[in-house]
Amino acid sequence: MEDRRIHLQLGISAIILSLLFLVVLIPNWVSSPSNVSKMILSPLMWPNVIAGATGLIGAALLLGALRMPRLATEIPPDTDDPTRAYLRLFVLALILIVTMPLMPRLGLVWTTMGVSALLALLVRTSHPKTAFICAICVPLVLYAFFAHVAGVAIPQGNFVRLP
Amino acid sequence: MSFVDNVMAGLALVANIESFLALFIGVAVGTVAGAIPGMSATMAVALTLPFTFAMAPITGILLLLGVYKGGIFGGSIPAILIRTPGTPASSATILDGYPLAEKGQAGKALGMALWASCTADLISNLSLILFAGWLASFALSFGPPEFFTLILFSLTIIAGVSGDSLLRGALSALLGLMLATIGLDLIYGTNRFTFGSPTLMGGLNFIAVLIGLFALPEIIAMVWNPKAHEGKTRTLGKNWVTFADYKASFRTIVRGSFIGVFLGSIPGIGAAPAAFLSYSEARRKSPNKANFGKGELEGVAAAEAGNNGVAGATLIPLLALGVPGDVITAIILGAFMIHGLQPGPIMFVMNADIIYGLFIGLIVSSVFLFIIGTVAIKGFKYVADIPRGVLFPAVMVLCIYGVFAVNNNLFDVGVMFVMGGVGYLMMRYKVPSAPFLIAFILGPLLEDNFRQAMLMSNSSPAILFRGPITWFFWLLTAITVFAIARAGFKTIRNARAADAEAEEIQ
Repeated sequence: MEDRRIHLQLGISAIILSLLFLVVLIPNWVSSPSNVSKMILSPLMWPNVIAGATGLIGAALLLGALRMPRLATEIPPDTDDPTRAYLRLFVLALILIVTMPLMPRLGLVWTTMGVSALLALLVRTSHPKTAFICAICVPLVLYAFFAHVAGVAIPQGNFVRLP
Repeated sequence: MSFVDNVMAGLALVANIESFLALFIGVAVGTVAGAIPGMSATMAVALTLPFTFAMAPITGILLLLGVYKGGIFGGSIPAILIRTPGTPASSATILDGYPLAEKGQAGKALGMALWASCTADLISNLSLILFAGWLASFALSFGPPEFFTLILFSLTIIAGVSGDSLLRGALSALLGLMLATIGLDLIYGTNRFTFGSPTLMGGLNFIAVLIGLFALPEIIAMVWNPKAHEGKTRTLGKNWVTFADYKASFRTIVRGSFIGVFLGSIPGIGAAPAAFLSYSEARRKSPNKANFGKGELEGVAAAEAGNNGVAGATLIPLLALGVPGDVITAIILGAFMIHGLQPGPIMFVMNADIIYGLFIGLIVSSVFLFIIGTVAIKGFKYVADIPRGVLFPAVMVLCIYGVFAVNNNLFDVGVMFVMGGVGYLMMRYKVPSAPFLIAFILGPLLEDNFRQAMLMSNSSPAILFRGPITWFFWLLTAITVFAIARAGFKTIRNARAADAEAEEIQ
């Protein structure tokens, strides 16, 4: 992506984010005790300063972008097939979203085995057998370490429990 | 306690097989991780962190320091063999390392990289031992106003030097500061952006944010383009570096090491500028100036000395002031906190045995680096052959386990996934993630010290200018902002001049 476009999009996003904080998030989701007499000591002060500064940086990015020259030629994309790349990203997002509710139900070990195998499939690994073996072994080894050496209570899930 | 007493106390703490084994494993893991294209020293340190929870503080921190040292050297291996720097700090090594590899002298280049790295590492560690204690004793007189101005200075420099755009760096730092406000207010204990959820009251978990920002974006980038980072590995060749080669480059290595030490001790500058400065100084002073960039062994020595000289020096501000020198030391700062330790001047008084134990461990790490580096150079072929389609799914599993293990909380895994998305977007939009993480860590310290100073002075800002120390940091901040702004304007002016020239030619 060319710098002009990056700065333009970043600038607009930063201004929107700043307004979102100043108008919606800070008034509704930051509470301050009523007996704070000076603004400088209030819990509201710091978020307001940061949000304001974000807006200023956004404006500077936007101004900078408007003053940048347009490139005559398009920068080539960093992947052979952008449509497939976006599709892969979409599938990855789905995998990660589904992982969250599955972890307490299936257990961390079985869920991560699935995530690992699906990820290897998603990138079409050239070594599917090795990837499959790793997808089984790595979660088991990590389970053994964290559960039995570090003493972490790894979620076991409702179906198959490990020793 | 005297210096000798402290050294003996440190020795008593680390002189056991467990500590040295942790250090050895750390250097080995770091070297391998640094040598794998697409992995980085930062990612390796972040992923190793959860494994330290079950260890004694000194053992865990030595493991992380080993990974750090190994990772910085390991990055030079793919830089020389496949023209892909394993870490940004190794970018300068490519300039002469890869041309040497093309000439069939990769073994020689890697050997020189190792020797220069170990020498610079040793010099850097000795500088740390000499200066950290002195700086800490000086910092004992710091109060909240002094710490506020120091952290403000650190943030300014970090935002300014961490990328090719000051504005993008500043935006990144501001986002990190904003994220750090989530949780209970530090003074009044009221809710800030907790959205009614008790899980958010303690703020976002540092490890989840860290791994999300530094490990997941690499995995997402691989999903975006699975064929990236594929390079042709050069053979090592039959030439090996000799003592005469080392002797010829010794002055350059020492000079580069001191450049690394100087730049590394300033929070935020990092290893890459040190490597390039060391390289350009070596070229300026060398009689073989014309050969630089075409395969000059001295160039490899200079670049590696510069980037490894930083490794110990970045620990000076961390240990003496509690301010991380770069993103890896920010992770190590997190490790200290997880183990119930707070780096800074007080640590030199309360936990001097740990500090001196770390110093001893660091000196030993240079020897381990030499041993492991020699083996790693020969074994790189196998490391480079690890298919990314096998490696990264395993890394994803490691991330999930590591983040969960911090608080036994699945919510943290969700935070990591979200931060991974944010980190990937930042990568696509060329927003550096280092200022984000450092601001996320320093944010609460900055706010806490500011508000404490205001409480001390009954809200009078005059306290922020109360003595020579605060004035010194204000002055440094002003100089940094001026220098960064000037460099930014100069870049814009040059770009415009180049555009105008191009238009005239057309």
